[in-house]
Amino acid sequence: MDMAAARATLVQESRELLSEMENALLEMERNGTSEEGVHAVFRAAHTIKGSAGLFGLEHVVRFTHSMESVLDGVRAGRAEMSAELLALMVDCGDHLSSLIDAVEQGILDRDPDSERAGALLDRLSPPVADSGSRALTERVIETRAEEIASPRAVLNDAWHISLRLARDVLKSGMDPMSFLNYLSGLGEVLAVELLEDDLPPLSELDPEILHLGIEVRFSSEATRQQIEAAFEFVSEGSLIRILPPHARIEEYLEFLRTMPESDRRLGEILVACGALTPNELEKVLAFQRESGEKPIGKIFVEERIVPPVVVETALRKQAVTKASSRDIRVVKVEAEKLDILIDLVGELVIASAAARVAALGEGAKASAEAVGTLATLVEEIRDSALGLRMVPIGEVFQRFPRMVRDISRDLGKSVELVISGAEAELDKSMVDRIADPLTHIVRNSLDHGLETEAVRIAAGKPAQGTISFNAYHETGSIVIEVSDDGAGIRRDKVLAKAIERGIAQAGQELTDREILNLVFEAGFSTADSVSDLSGRGVGMDVVRRNVEALRGEIELQSVEGQGTTTRLRLPLTLAIIDGFHFLVGKSSYVVPLDMVKECADLVESDLHGGIVRFRGEPLPVIQLRKLFSVDEPPSRRRSLVVAQHGSQRVGLVVDQLAGELQAVIKPLGPMFRNLRAVGGTTILGNGSVALILDIPRLAQIAVETSAERDLGRTIFFSKKQEVPSCN
Amino acid sequence: MTTATMAREISKGGSVSSSGGVERDPLCQYLTFSLWGESFAIPIEHVREIIEFGGITTIPMMPPFLRGVINLRGAVVPVVDVQARFGRGETNIAKRTCVVIVEVLVQESPHMLGVLVDSVSEVLTLDRSRLEAKPSFGSGIRSDFVEGILNLEDRFIVTLDIDKVLSVEEMAALVGASSSGRPEDPA
Repeated sequence: MDMAAARATLVQESRELLSEMENALLEMERNGTSEEGVHAVFRAAHTIKGSAGLFGLEHVVRFTHSMESVLDGVRAGRAEMSAELLALMVDCGDHLSSLIDAVEQGILDRDPDSERAGALLDRLSPPVADSGSRALTERVIETRAEEIASPRAVLNDAWHISLRLARDVLKSGMDPMSFLNYLSGLGEVLAVELLEDDLPPLSELDPEILHLGIEVRFSSEATRQQIEAAFEFVSEGSLIRILPPHARIEEYLEFLRTMPESDRRLGEILVACGALTPNELEKVLAFQRESGEKPIGKIFVEERIVPPVVVETALRKQAVTKASSRDIRVVKVEAEKLDILIDLVGELVIASAAARVAALGEGAKASAEAVGTLATLVEEIRDSALGLRMVPIGEVFQRFPRMVRDISRDLGKSVELVISGAEAELDKSMVDRIADPLTHIVRNSLDHGLETEAVRIAAGKPAQGTISFNAYHETGSIVIEVSDDGAGIRRDKVLAKAIERGIAQAGQELTDREILNLVFEAGFSTADSVSDLSGRGVGMDVVRRNVEALRGEIELQSVEGQGTTTRLRLPLTLAIIDGFHFLVGKSSYVVPLDMVKECADLVESDLHGGIVRFRGEPLPVIQLRKLFSVDEPPSRRRSLVVAQHGSQRVGLVVDQLAGELQAVIKPLGPMFRNLRAVGGTTILGNGSVALILDIPRLAQIAVETSAERDLGRTIFFSKKQEVPSCN
Repeated sequence: MTTATMAREISKGGSVSSSGGVERDPLCQYLTFSLWGESFAIPIEHVREIIEFGGITTIPMMPPFLRGVINLRGAVVPVVDVQARFGRGETNIAKRTCVVIVEVLVQESPHMLGVLVDSVSEVLTLDRSRLEAKPSFGSGIRSDFVEGILNLEDRFIVTLDIDKVLSVEEMAALVGASSSGRPEDPA
C-alpha cells in the first residue's frame, strides 16, 4: 500500500464518517438530543482526528480536536447540546468536509479557508460552553498530566544509548572505548552490554573489523544535544539510537524495529542492561506482534512520517475497525470494476444465446444439453453480477435531510422530512442518475409546494409542512414517490401560464391530467419570480427527459390545498433483463418478462375491435400488426400476450410467440429519442436485433390513438416537437 | 474494386488524414458510391468500414429514410437511406447494395451510422484544387447537403456534407414528426 492509496482511504472513510455525523446531527435537530447521537458525532470527529494525525494533517487534527473537546463536555454532562451547538456542529462538519476535499486534492499542510476555520474555532471555544469552558480547561490540564505520567512510559530513569558503529570504524582510528570514556565525563555509565552475535569464528576474525554492538545505560543531567555531540565524528554507516529517561514503550518498539538484531534478542539485552523490565519487554513485543500484521503502521514508521505514538493510536483504531468489518464481511469494490464485469456478463449472455441457436441448429442432443446447462449457469451469473450492483435507494435519500433543512431555513418554512422504503434496492447506475431529478422535485416542493407557516395555520393545517419520500418495488420496477402536504397545483394558474407561453391554446378542452402534464412541457414555469432554488432555467421538462432517458416514467398527482405527489417509476436496472420474445411480421420484439402475466392462442371470434374476451372478461388489446403498419401477410394463427403494468392490464396481439430470453439492453441512441414505444434494443442469438417494447407507453399510445380517432390522426411520438438545439 | 481492397484504401486514407493534418495536405481522399446510377462522394475521414447489406431490423413507425438498425459487432447502428433522405424514394435492395458505416459527432461524442448505397465504387485520391465550390443549384439535392463538386477530367461528382446529410439532430426531430401510422384505430 502506498501513501496515495492510504490517503484515498482516509478521504473515503472520513466522508462516510462525516455523512454519519451529519445524519446524527440532523436527527437530533428533529427529535431532540440523544446520547447515541452525541456519541456518533463524537466518534466521527475522534476517528477523523486519529486518521488525520496519522498523516500529519495538523490543521485537521487541531480542528477536530476542538470539536471533540466540546463534544466530550456534552458527553460528560458538563455542557448541553443546545440548538446553537447543533447548528455549529453542522457548520463544523461542512468545514471539515471541505478540509477533506482539500486533502483529496493534495492540500495537506494548510487549511484552504483558515478564516472560516478561525471563526468556527472561536465559536467552538468560549460562547458555546459557558458551563463547559471550565471543564474544557480541566480536561486539557488532565491530558497534560497524563502525558507526563504516562502509564506507557518505562520505569528506566536513565538514558539508553545503542551503538552500532560502522565495521570499519577501527580502520579510521576510532576506538569505541573512547566514546564510553567521553560519556563518563558527562554522567554515569550504569551498564554496558555487548552484542557479540556477529563475531565470526576466531580463525576468520579480522582484528581491524568491529563486530560488536554496544548497549549503554547512562545516567546524566545532560541534554540530548550534549549526548548526541559525543558521536558527532562517528563515521558514516554507523547507527546510533538515543532514548530518553522514561521513554515510552512505543519508542522502544520503534527502536527494536529499526535495529538489525532480532527483537527478542535485542530485548533481552535491554533487560540485561536494565533499560527495560522483563514485563516492559513483553509489552513491547506484544505490541510488535500486534502491529506486525498492520501494513499501514509499518509504512508510517518506515517513512518516518509520524512519531510512533501516533502510530500506536492508529494501530489501536485499526484493530477496532478490523474487528467490526469482520462482523459484516463487506468487500469494497470499485464501481468501474463492477461495470466491466456486467458488460462482460452481457456479452456472455449474448454469446450463450448464439451457442444455443447453433446447438439447436445442429440437432446434436448432447451439445444442446450441454449448452442448456451452460445457459442456466450464465443466468445465475448474470443475476449475481447484477445483484452486486444493487444498492438501497436510501443512498440517494440520504442527501435530502440536509438539503431540506437548509432550504427550508432559507425560505423561513418549517418542514419535516419523512423517509420510508429506503431499503428498496436498485442498480447503482440508476441511483447515480436519479439523484438530480429527485433534487429538482424536492426543490419544487419546498419552493412552490409548501406554504409558509402563517399561510398554513390560516388554512387550518399543521404549522410544520411535511415532505415524504417513499419507495417500493412493483412488477420489475421501483416506484419512488415524493409527496408534500402543501398548496397543491392550481389548475387555473397552470393553464393560464401554459396559454401565455404558447404551450396550450385558449379554449382547448383539457382533462385534469392533461393540465397537470403541461408542467412537464419545455419552457414552463409557474413561479412568478425566478427564485434562487427552483426555476433556475431547468424545469420539470428536464426532469421528465432525464427520467425517460432511464426508461422510466413520471406522473403528478395533486389536490389543490392538500398537496402534490410526484411518482417516478423506474426499471431496476439498465443492463440486462429477462425478456419475453415474440414476432410481429418478420420483426422480433421483446417485453420485460415480469410484466407478462400469461400467453394464449387468440380465438379470433373473441376479438371485438379493441377488446378481446379473455377468460370471460373483457381485455383491451393492442394489435401490433396494425399499430406498426406491418405489410407482410398475416400468419394464420395469432397469439395473445397479456401484460400487466401497475394496475393496468393490456393484451398484445402478436403473430408468433418465441419464448423467454435474456435481453442485454442496448440503447437506441440519440436518433430515436422521440420514439416512445421502443425502450431499447437487444441482440438475439442469431445476431439480429430485436426491439424492446415499452408497454406502459405503448398502452398510452393506444389510449391516445383511440381518443384522437375522430380527428383521423395518430400520435406515436411526444406531442411537443421542438428541434433540439445543438449545445 | 472489391470491398476488401476498399477497406485497405480506407485504412490508408484514415492514416493520411490523421497524421498529415487536413489543411496542409495537398491531397484529399473521397469514397465514391452510386445512388440510382448517380455518383456521390464523401470525405474518407468519416468512413469507418463498408459492409454488405443484410440482417436489418426495421423499426416501426419510422420515416422512410430510417431503414432500421443493424448489429455491428455488438453495437446497434441505425441505417439511413440517403436516397429517401434526398426525397427521391426508397433505395431498392439489390445484390450490390452496401452499408457504408460512417462516424459523425453528436454533441461532441462520436456516433456510428450506416448509409445505404446502391454500390460503392472507389476511393479517389486527388489534389485538393480539384474540389470546386458548390453550385447554388443544379446538383439535384438540397443545397446544404452538398459540400462541393469534384472536378474530374471526364465528369463531376457531388461531394456530400455528411454532417448535414446525417444530422442526428435534424433526423431525430423528423423521427418524432413522422406520423406514418394509419388513420384507422389500431386497437
